[in-house]
Amino acid sequence: MPEDRSYKAEKVIERLGKKLNRQVVGSLAACVHCGMCTDSCHYVLANPGDPTFAPAWKADRLRKLFKRHYDWTGRVFPWWVGAKSVYTDKDLEELKDIVFGKCTNCRRCSINCPMGVDFATFNRMARGLLVSVGVMPEGVAVVSKDQWEIGNQMGVLREDYLDTIEWMEETIQDELDNPKAVIPIDKPNTDVVYTINPREVKYDPRTISDAAKIFHMAGENWTMPSEGWDMTNFGLFSGDDDLGGSVASRVYDKMHELKGKKIVISECGHGYRSTRCEGQNWAGMDVDFEMESSVITMRDYIKEGRIQVDKSKNTDKYTYHDSCNFARSCGLFEEPRELLNLVTDDFSEMYPNRSENYCCTGGGGAMSMSEYAPDRLKSAKIKADQLKATGANVVVTSCHNCVDGLADLIKHYKLDMKVTQLVNLVANALVIPEEAEVAVKEPDEVETLKGLFAGKKIMVVDDEPDLRVFYGSVLEDNGAEVIEAADGDEAIGLAMAELPDLITLDLSMPGKDGGKVFEALRKNDATASIPVCIITGRPELRSLIYDRPVPAPEGYLDKPVSEETLIRNVRKIFEVGRAMEKQPV
Amino acid sequence: MEKEKVINNVHVRVEVTDITDLEIEAFVYYARSDLKLDAGYGNAITTRGGMSIRKELEKIGNLAPNASLITDAGQLKAKYIIHANGPKFQEQDIPLKLKTTMLGILATAKKAGITRLAFPAMGCGYYGIPVPQSAQIMLEAIEEFTSETNELEEIVLCMLDLRQQGAFLPVFNDFKVGVLS
Ligand code: SF4
Ligand code: SF4
Repeated sequence: MPEDRSYKAEKVIERLGKKLNRQVVGSLAACVHCGMCTDSCHYVLANPGDPTFAPAWKADRLRKLFKRHYDWTGRVFPWWVGAKSVYTDKDLEELKDIVFGKCTNCRRCSINCPMGVDFATFNRMARGLLVSVGVMPEGVAVVSKDQWEIGNQMGVLREDYLDTIEWMEETIQDELDNPKAVIPIDKPNTDVVYTINPREVKYDPRTISDAAKIFHMAGENWTMPSEGWDMTNFGLFSGDDDLGGSVASRVYDKMHELKGKKIVISECGHGYRSTRCEGQNWAGMDVDFEMESSVITMRDYIKEGRIQVDKSKNTDKYTYHDSCNFARSCGLFEEPRELLNLVTDDFSEMYPNRSENYCCTGGGGAMSMSEYAPDRLKSAKIKADQLKATGANVVVTSCHNCVDGLADLIKHYKLDMKVTQLVNLVANALVIPEEAEVAVKEPDEVETLKGLFAGKKIMVVDDEPDLRVFYGSVLEDNGAEVIEAADGDEAIGLAMAELPDLITLDLSMPGKDGGKVFEALRKNDATASIPVCIITGRPELRSLIYDRPVPAPEGYLDKPVSEETLIRNVRKIFEVGRAMEKQPV
Repeated sequence: MEKEKVINNVHVRVEVTDITDLEIEAFVYYARSDLKLDAGYGNAITTRGGMSIRKELEKIGNLAPNASLITDAGQLKAKYIIHANGPKFQEQDIPLKLKTTMLGILATAKKAGITRLAFPAMGCGYYGIPVPQSAQIMLEAIEEFTSETNELEEIVLCMLDLRQQGAFLPVFNDFKVGVLS
């Protein structure tokens, strides 16, 4: 090369040449700078006057590179057509901040361009070019490596996945008072193989038990796979087609091994798009089984009379958020609405909606890139206004990523709203026939549970006195010796002095928050092996806990915590607590 | 396709398995210069093996490019971990660097008297080195090193998934022992 260019920059340019296909070249060449896409982008709307958020401006950073190296006009007259190359590693870092930090690949601009320019497609390609030379946000690196090596985006180990499934199986058996309600693992020749998002295992296992309850009540012949269960695919976000192909092929290979008839994909926009629509191209594989969103499965169960629902059980005022990948990219607009109307009475649309809906602002992997969170939350103003205008108190979405994105912006903009998914509403509305009704515990049964935690010392850490009393009395009633700490420093001191058998730790405390306390406990030899059950109502749990350089907590509980869930979770940690036995002190 | 072969009396086999959960004497972790046990297998090592491994690495500090070192494997099924700082992404001179890294690992293993050793597909997956390229270099290094020493008895080449194995096996099958110049 005649120019003085860094090795990485040279590799990016070289690979750009290999990635150019008709669709990309068309999008690179077709823009006439009419500006019609500008106001379709939530970043632009939230940052009026800042041209660097405009889709066409962002696209031009890549277009100039293409023109400089792969278009004859730019090669011959670079000054004339505005062609510009990348030279240094710093140039690559700047490009990274644009393609990862200023776009969620939501494709709203793509559908608003009269020339058919699909900016999101070549933004994804640019991400892939940078990833191939190791230039990416830290969060993208972490999630990619987890999915490459552990097989899922959150690094959930096989034993933790299986433990959680077992725990959820016990949960539905308790709730239905039916030991036959099971979650089969690796059962061959089933009609349904249910694949999920690892977020469900780590933060939201209720969605697994809710789905299991629905399959059980429908009398479905179903299973969950022990491997290849993660239907999400970070390759879609990072632009790494090779990761995309590997992840998709793990799901398909497992399906072939199990000889299942149909993959049912739990509610996740990018997971659905990756597994159902893009995965076969990335993996270079043909599949001979059906793939379906759980939204369609649940809707059909109700329409076919396989499950009975009572919509009066869902008493809130609901609105629906279309996930970009689920709706705009895959066309699933009416199915979720049909299902929502089958299980609720009070649904009102959000405007604009369907293919014109705005991104939850956490799309494209944005929730994993903490360095861009201020811009993300600023752009979320558009979504917050949309939500507020509905007057609803619950927003329903068919995407786990959107659940996190929406929950974060709801908290940031202090909206009085909750986020939920269709699976939760369907499970809640289920009509359980008499014999399967949850049995009220007889007094002697309660007695036998009294000694459940006998001999165990449990430390309760919470800044709210009422909650300490509540958790403490529930645990004491079940035989535990309870000690209390009201803040982070007290918790660390008391843990070292008393060496409890388990700690329940509130994340939101003034002063030293629960995340810092957790890290300090794990890093201290004396307390490193004490199991910790995190208690939180905060969606940013992930950055506080899972991005820390210490092993993950043994359990977690979502606020508000009921007596029953507290007992169940503590019991799970004591009974299943693999980590407890293995971590050396 | 064959998944096993003997190279200079060493039994070499290819298997899809989680390397951090394997019953083996030592396995290789594709390390960073700062020796941080980051995501993926790094996290699995800490979660399953305990904090002692991380602490041992923190004391050591860092690792030169293409070098390797050995630590205890804590509560893992393996006894030792060999941390090897191999080439990453599309950096310059990958073949030479990967070969140097491989020979360094084998020397580290020999020094520690290890007879059963597991490798990942070196630098493949997250770090993006193409599987066939890595496979060829790995096998050449194994043959070269073991022609001079016969203490190793078993090598397991651990694949992430069937797809990676599918790209590795043709090279493994075509690899002819004894034709290195
Ligand atoms: S709408 Fe299309 S043609 Fe117009 S500026 Fe945007 S990308 Fe270019
Ligand atoms: S894809 Fe979405 S976030 Fe990206 S530029 Fe277009 S509208 Fe904006």
